This record gives sequence, C-alpha cells and structure tokens, in this order.
Amino acid sequence: MTSAASPAGTTPAGPPPTAAPPAPPAGAVRARARRGARGAARPGILWALPAVVFFGLFALVPLVLVAVLSFTSWTGLGSPSFAGLANWTKLFHDPVMIQSLWLSVLLTGLGVLVQTPLSILIGVWAAGRQRGRAVLSAIFFIPLLLSVTAVSVLWRALLDPNFGVPAQAHWLFGDGNLLGSRTGAIGVLVFVSAWQYTPLHSLIYQGATRAIPAVLYQAAAIDGAGRIRQFLHVTLPQLRNAVVTSVILMIVGGLTTFDSVLILTEGGPGTDTTITAYYMYDKAFKSFDYGTGAAVALLLVVVATAISLVVVRLSGYDRMAGTQEGLS
Amino acid sequence: MRISMRMSRGSTPAAGRAATSGAKRGAERTRTAVETASQRTPGSAAPPRVRLVRTVACGGAALLLGTSLTACDSGSDASGAKEFHVLVYGDAGNTVEKQIVAEFNKTSKVKAVLDTIPGADYQTKLQTIINTPQAPDVFYNWGGGSIKPFVKAGLLMPLDDVFTNDPTIGDHFLPSVYNTAKIDGKAYGIPMRGTQPVLLFSNKKVLANAGVTQPKTWDELLASVKKLKAKGVTPIALGGGDKWPTMMWYEYLYDRIAGPGLFEKAVAGDKSAWSSPDSKKALSMVRQLVDAGAFGSNFDSVKWTGGGSAQLLASGKAGFELMGSWEYSTQKQASPGFAAKDLGYTTFPSVQGGKGDPNDLVGNTNNFYSVMKKTKQPAAVAKFLKLMYSEEFIKAQLSIGNLPTTTNTSTFLGTSSDPAYAKYQLDLVSKAPSFQISWDQTYPPSQMTPIYQAIQEFTDGKSDADGFIKAMQALDAS
Repeated sequence: MTSAASPAGTTPAGPPPTAAPPAPPAGAVRARARRGARGAARPGILWALPAVVFFGLFALVPLVLVAVLSFTSWTGLGSPSFAGLANWTKLFHDPVMIQSLWLSVLLTGLGVLVQTPLSILIGVWAAGRQRGRAVLSAIFFIPLLLSVTAVSVLWRALLDPNFGVPAQAHWLFGDGNLLGSRTGAIGVLVFVSAWQYTPLHSLIYQGATRAIPAVLYQAAAIDGAGRIRQFLHVTLPQLRNAVVTSVILMIVGGLTTFDSVLILTEGGPGTDTTITAYYMYDKAFKSFDYGTGAAVALLLVVVATAISLVVVRLSGYDRMAGTQEGLS
Repeated sequence: MRISMRMSRGSTPAAGRAATSGAKRGAERTRTAVETASQRTPGSAAPPRVRLVRTVACGGAALLLGTSLTACDSGSDASGAKEFHVLVYGDAGNTVEKQIVAEFNKTSKVKAVLDTIPGADYQTKLQTIINTPQAPDVFYNWGGGSIKPFVKAGLLMPLDDVFTNDPTIGDHFLPSVYNTAKIDGKAYGIPMRGTQPVLLFSNKKVLANAGVTQPKTWDELLASVKKLKAKGVTPIALGGGDKWPTMMWYEYLYDRIAGPGLFEKAVAGDKSAWSSPDSKKALSMVRQLVDAGAFGSNFDSVKWTGGGSAQLLASGKAGFELMGSWEYSTQKQASPGFAAKDLGYTTFPSVQGGKGDPNDLVGNTNNFYSVMKKTKQPAAVAKFLKLMYSEEFIKAQLSIGNLPTTTNTSTFLGTSSDPAYAKYQLDLVSKAPSFQISWDQTYPPSQMTPIYQAIQEFTDGKSDADGFIKAMQALDAS
C-alpha cells in the first residue's frame, strides 16, 4: 500500500484502510516518482545495520553468554564447568535472593511515591514565569550533575551519627543509627536517590507543562477555576504521558540501582538492603561465584522486563494516545 | 564480553569508595599505615587497566568460541626480552617497591617490571587475570585464604621449588609471620611490606577523666566501660559499618577463651568447633559487652574508613578503640596533637580461665609475595625475593612507617619514623606464641560476605548464638 508511509487514522483526508489500491502506474515517470517517495519514507535496512550490530554485540550476545554462564560453576579460575540447574535451584531456595527482589521492588516503589509528587510540583512551578525562577531552577538542578558515587560518599559523611547532621539534630534522628538499622538504611537510600534524581524528573514535567496550550487555562479561568482547580483539572491530566515516561524511567533506574547501595550500605546492615543488583555483584565479584551471579543477573532482566511491560500496558503508553483530545 | 563490561562497570564506583572487602581492606590498611610518608606515587594506571580489559575481553571471547586463550597473548614473553612481572597494590607503599626493583635491575640481566593495580579492587582484579597469559610472575597478597584458591588451582609455586639452592630462606623471617602463608604445610609467600597486629588503643585523657587505667583483664575492661559510660562518653569506638572492626573483637575473644586451636580447627573444616562450649562462651561475652553499651547504639552507622571511629577516639568522645597498628599513623596524620600526647596503646585484655595466651595476636601478619608456577625466570625471581630481607629493604620500609618482620629488623629500628612504637610492635610480634591472621583472610575470599553478615547480625541482636553458629558452620573452608 502506498499509504503505508502516512500514519493511518490520524489524517482524516487520507484514504481509508480498506480503500482499493490505486491503479497500476501508467508510465515510467509516475513509477520513478513513487519509488522516490517510497525511498524517502523508508530508508533501506542497511541504515539500521549499525544499531542492530551494536545492540547484538553489546546486548544480545552478552545476554546469551550470561544465560550460558548461569548453568555453569565458575570461580574465575580455570574454565567454567557445567552445573546444570544447580545455581537456579540454589537461588530459588535462597531467602536472601527472594528478599532482594522484594527489596528492589520496595525501593523502586518508594522512589516513585516520593519523587513523583515532588517532581510534579517542582516541575510545574519551574514552568512558570516567576522572578528568579531560572536561577533557582539551575541551582536545583545541581545534584543531577554529580556522579552517584560522589553523592553517596557525600551523604555517607553527612549522615555520620557523631559528626554529621544527626549529631546536631537529636530531636529528629535520635541516636543517628540511620545506616545501622533496616528502616534507617532504606530511608537513606530512598532519600539520597530522591535528592539526586528529582531534578531530572522535574525537568520532564517542566517541559510537559510548558507544552500545555494556554488556551486551556484561559477557558478554565473563564469557567471560574482557581489556581488549584486549574492545576488539578488541567495541568495534571495533561501531564499524563509525562508521568508515564517519568515513572518508567524511575522503575528502570530503581531496579538497577547499584552504586548508591554499594557505597552507602553495602547491602547491610546484615542483608537488609541487599537488593538484586547488589546481590548479583556480591555473588559474582565478591564471592567469585560467577555462575550464581549470572543467574541473579538473568533473573533481574526477566523481572525488570516484566514490570516494564506491565507498566507500559497499564498506562496505555503502548497506544501512544495523545493528550490533545480536548482541543480538536 | 559481558564479563568485561561488568568488570569495568563494577570496578569504577568501587575504586572511589572506601575499602571494605577483605582484600580491599587489607590494602586500605596498608595504605593508611604508610600514609605518614604519603608521597602518593603517580601509579601507572593505564597499562594494568588496559591489560585487564584485554584479558577479560579475551577471556569472554574464549568462553564464547571455545578457543584457547593463547591467541590473545600480548607476547611479552615472545618478544625475547628477559624480564618478569611483579604485581603490587598501587598505593604509597610503591615508593619502596620501585626503589627495590630499580636496585635489583642495576645488577640483574633479567629485569623486574613493576606493575600496579590502582584502586581498592586488587583481589577482584587479580582473580580475573591470574589464570591468563597476562598473569604476573610474582604478586602481592595477604597470605592465608587470599591465596588458597590459587594454590588449589595449581597456579602457585611452593617456595621449596623457588629456593632450591637456599632451603633456609624461611629462617630470615619471624616464624609466626612466615607460617601464615603456608598452605598444607608448604610455604607460598615471602613477607614484604610490614606487620599489622591489632592493638587496644585509647584516649589517655578520657581514661584519666573517668578514673580508668589500661585494662589488663576482661573484668577490668567491663568495669572501665561502666565508668566511661557514667562520664557520658562512648566507652569503645567501633566502626561497625566496615564490619571488619567488629570482627576483631570476635577474633580476640575466641583466641583468649579457646586459644588459637579452635579457629584453626574450624578453618580446617571441623564445624563442631563453632558449637563448642568455648565458642558459646565467646559469643556470650560479645553479647555482654554489647549489652553493657560498650559500643553505644549507633556503631553500625560508623565507619573506620573515612575516619568516623578514629575521630571519636581523637575527639575524646570515646575511650578505647580496637584497631590494627595502622591506627597510630592514621591518628598521627589526622590528629597529630592527640597522637603525640594522648594516644595510648596496649594489648587485648586476658580472660580469666581462658586457654589462650595473653601474648597471642590477631591481625594482618604481613603482606606476601607469591610466585606463579608458570614463571619462566624462577632463578631471577628467587634472587629478587631475597632482597626482602636485605638491609636496604628494611630501612626503606621503616622510613615510611612499616615494620618488616625479618629476624634482623631490630637492629635497624633507629631508622623508623617512630622507633619506640616500632620496637613495641616488634616485641609483641616476636614474642607472640600465635599470630592469627584475620578471619576474613583465613577463609577464602568467597566467604567474606557470609562471615561479615553473621558477625553483624549477632552483634546487632538480629540473630542469637545458634544463628551465628549455624552461619559459621555453613562456611566453605576449602
């Protein structure tokens, strides 16, 4: 079908999908023109080659290798020996493994819950035209520019119970045993990642808010809606796709969080913050059990993919529905 | 190839963080021990890193294609150059190593090449290259469990084979130290750098304020905990966040109550050692100390790395700290005034009725050089290793604050950066009937995390004695 290049359905003027194919070309000129048009719209498969090769080499091949490795026993010395399902059965009976999956989901969930409202408020505020907004936004953006490692080291020092912030604010922190207790350590991880990543998500919301047509607000104002009602009934619904984008980013980032756990808690106290990604590192690179490490990695891939698919499905992101329905 | 990506990802954040795993920790200790003379050398960062990446990439490729690794050989041996590679942890201690290598190369036809692995992940990186053509001929390690997997894999050369014409090489070193690099009765390591026994440090001013004297027995220690608590200070600073400082309390208590035999039995695979009455008694005493509030309540949020617990001691907020001998040089650098005037040090208290000798020590006995079986230059390597008890080596180590453990060290103590402290340590180490290398270094590296978890959870009260015993019995000693 020649109409394949234009997205069906969005252009009312276009031929309906069931329309009969156009008559065969009568002359060479028309044929050439058509070929030209088709060439412009659909570049040859060769154009995709670099990306496909890159993806295959650095994503698919390693994934297959890891899958193979997960059925072997290997300490890094000598060559891997086939171990059958040993690593997998061990993992499924491993309380730390099961706990690590829950912890990953919990930390991700808490991250979404904390960061989403914050970044929406900040993003919407930053989209306005107040005085000094640009300067404040720039300052607020700084945490994102720092590396996770630096941020974690910084907070680790700031949260020292005897010489850091908790020592100055006993009424809030008690004895300051933040990283030495389960709730404290989880709280610190959620806080530090929110501190670092809220600016990024605010940026997404800022952009999305600016894209909302002013006419909607004018209409709402005419109907007598105040600022809060405008926010609730115009801004928030219009930000729907931005929320989905931002939440998916948070989920992907949350499930693969590693560096901050490594530096702030090392999976501790005990195994209280041993999330799956850290558990994988611990198995493979600290305990020299590459087979089990590979199995954990593969499990993480499966879980993360499944969760992403569910989110995409539930949010309607796959249908790519626009937020302009009220306008046309 | 996946592995190579992981490696580079995994190692980057780790390089910047405070050292924690045993391998890293030992290195961190060594680093801090020599920090007084800290002219940080511009370590040759690129070559080992590049080599590592190539090695791992080749390993991954070999894994994929099932081909031999030799195709990836960089050909350092094939070039015909007569040389051997010495791999060491890249830190301030390298100044002495560079000096020794330069000295050796002046007279030797076969040249020694010094390679350093920067960053804290020495053990991890070593493990990835040791079974490849990029492996060094001689490498730095911590003896004990840190080289056991390599010995089991048949990669190391027993020193009897290296020093065929000098079987008495071991006589040049203190036996308690030399023995910690023996595996199945065969020696695999020549001591290099210095010894690091664990001592009970204190803030003399804080002790005096509370009317406390250096405790000689466990009961005295408990009594001083009470007095210090009454004065409103944390009796004992503990960097529980690093986990290994907590482990030191267990190591000493087990030794004092049961003697070194119990742990040796456990490491040899006799799991009943952990459920013995002595083991239970040691645990109950740990419990007693924690419950008495000796460490305060937030010790797991405090780290030694980064200066948390050491600062507690120096600032007078704590009375004691159990720490390796590197605490002295650390304090000297961070709080020179405190180190000069108020820093006290003594040995771990004795326990009444305990089977252990109060002169027993625990800690890092030393660092060692081990030799790979595949080396093509065993004669030159042997010649090089003999320098580790030379006059020049001892003087150079002493000058940067390390205490070498050769039998003739005592004659050079005057050249130390602190002769009195060096002499104190040397006396302890030479008199010690037993010098137990840290638990996390005696067991293979793979068991480090479970050991730390068992210790942290018992100290925190998250598990009871049975839980601890079960966790330690689950360790794989082989």
